[in-house]
Amino acid sequence: MDNLGWGLQMTVLGMGLVFALLALLWGLLHLVLRLERAPVVPMSGQASTDAAERIAAVADDAIGAQVPVTPTVHGMDADLVAAIAVAALTHRAVRRREAAPVMRTYWPGSLLYASRWVTSGRARQNRTWQRGDK
Amino acid sequence: MTDTTGNHLGKLREMRSRAVLGGGQKRIEQQHARGKFTARERLALLLDEGSFQEFGALATHGFSDFGLDKQRFPGDGIVSGFGKINGRRVAVFAQDFTVLGGSFSEVQSHKICRIQDLALASGIPLIGLNDSGGARIQEGVRSLAAYGEVFVRNVMASGVIPQISLILGPCAGGAVYSPALTDFVIMASDSFMFLTGPDVIKATTGEEVSAQTLGGAHVHTARSGVAHLATDTEAAALEMVKRLLAYLPQNNNEDPPQITAYDPTDRMDEALNALIPLAEDEPYDMRDAIARIFDRDSFLEIQADFAANAVIGFARLDGFSVGIVANQPAFMSGALNIDASDKIARFIRTCDAYNVPLVTFVDCPGFLPGTDQEYGGVIRHGAKIIYAYCESTVPKISIVTRKAMGGAYVAMCSKQMRTDLAFAWPTAQIAVMGAEPAVGVLYRDDVQRAADPAAKKRELIAYYRDQFYNPYRAADVGQIDEVIEPRETRPRLVRALEVLRTKVQQNPPKKHGLFPS
Repeated sequence: MDNLGWGLQMTVLGMGLVFALLALLWGLLHLVLRLERAPVVPMSGQASTDAAERIAAVADDAIGAQVPVTPTVHGMDADLVAAIAVAALTHRAVRRREAAPVMRTYWPGSLLYASRWVTSGRARQNRTWQRGDK
Repeated sequence: MTDTTGNHLGKLREMRSRAVLGGGQKRIEQQHARGKFTARERLALLLDEGSFQEFGALATHGFSDFGLDKQRFPGDGIVSGFGKINGRRVAVFAQDFTVLGGSFSEVQSHKICRIQDLALASGIPLIGLNDSGGARIQEGVRSLAAYGEVFVRNVMASGVIPQISLILGPCAGGAVYSPALTDFVIMASDSFMFLTGPDVIKATTGEEVSAQTLGGAHVHTARSGVAHLATDTEAAALEMVKRLLAYLPQNNNEDPPQITAYDPTDRMDEALNALIPLAEDEPYDMRDAIARIFDRDSFLEIQADFAANAVIGFARLDGFSVGIVANQPAFMSGALNIDASDKIARFIRTCDAYNVPLVTFVDCPGFLPGTDQEYGGVIRHGAKIIYAYCESTVPKISIVTRKAMGGAYVAMCSKQMRTDLAFAWPTAQIAVMGAEPAVGVLYRDDVQRAADPAAKKRELIAYYRDQFYNPYRAADVGQIDEVIEPRETRPRLVRALEVLRTKVQQNPPKKHGLFPS
């Protein structure tokens, strides 16, 4: 029983010491914060709006300074260059769909590249159609 | 130097100036007020700049009955001649609505026939711009006979030179048969075609119908199937001719224009491997497959709104023109019916006539059942597909993507239809009929005798699916040449067509076959 009583006393003493130190520390911090706090100056609504606008203007200037200069190609801005590129690609697509001369690999109406096999074969295929064929 | 021909030249120039004005400035302004171009303006839009050479600009009729002697206009309501489209020679005629409403006369017939004869002799496409109120009544039977002269030449040129008709205004009565005899009909949105007009219909049957509802572009591209393409404007219709011509040759001895390849031949689109849904009855759009397999942005669908359960059109593969025939699982599950059969058969024959190889995509559960179809003669209409495939001699490749059932499998470019190469995707299901009806026929007694008929039926359906719902049985017996990954389709097709480019096949000599009709 003596040991138990001694143990309880030590526990209370130890924990009390820790909490006492924590309370002291909290008090010190609270004191420092009070001493460091800037005095609050009362301000009207208009004044606070003006102050906010001044801050915003500074921020705008800072952002504006970061916008890169629009690149140009032969004096044309990027939008115009993009529009020309789209027009050229569209034109090319139309020419391709229509098999325009510039897109073709040979000239229609010519059998220059057809094989003799195909030429004679087609002649035979078509001959069956003709009447009076011997 | 004295110009001794001065007076003669002056007269010629004056007559030419009159010819250019057609029915006169007032009529031209009326035509413009209707939002329409004149015949010459249309030709200017269609043909390469400065390429048009006119014939018969000064021809006029010789009739004087019914006051016709006071209505003589050089050209007599039609402008005809030769020109070039993207450097390719073409023969053209354009009816001039400003001259007597473009009414079809004997002189018109002579001019059209002349240009038809020259086009056939030269082996170049013929393009007709139709905008006419019908036969010139004042000329009586002569104008009717004149139609016949044009029709016979349409038929003689059929399958020899591409013939394209544009309907840019009214086209009524006997006049409709000439476009109907040509290979392609393109309609501008405010044009119409019919045999008997709204007034005649009202007088004979009492039915009231507007010209557009009776024979407008939508009617003929979506319901009757008379027209192949429709556009919102005249200018778009003229542009469409250029696009269509890009897939067609000058004549039946030559090849369509090949353009420089712009899409890699070995491109494999991974999305194709995930295109077929897991659920076998879930639809997918066959046009997605087509767009991913063929050259980028090259697919020109024909008759998109008519019989949407079948897809037909031209595309390019490695720069070469190919014709595509496909079932459309996204509409009526891709089942074949009367209209789809007609649509497919006609397109196969068009491609065959003009040396355009055919690629067929098969996903078809069969022919559409029902009394409507049987009474309508789906047998003879379906037979058209078989006839057209068997008769054709161009390279033919088929790809079974999913369902290929019964007679529809045979008809849709099976090996026996003289198909050169038959591919199948691993998702293919090639069988005589679907699993449930097949089990019903094959195992009716077994199912009835089983302790638990429903469980037995499920078991047998699973067995049937395991046996036939794949392409491997067909590959075993040589009905399928190769089972391929969907993404491999493009390179496989490119290589196959490269080999088949010089394919020549000859049918037995005959006057002509008897096409089911």
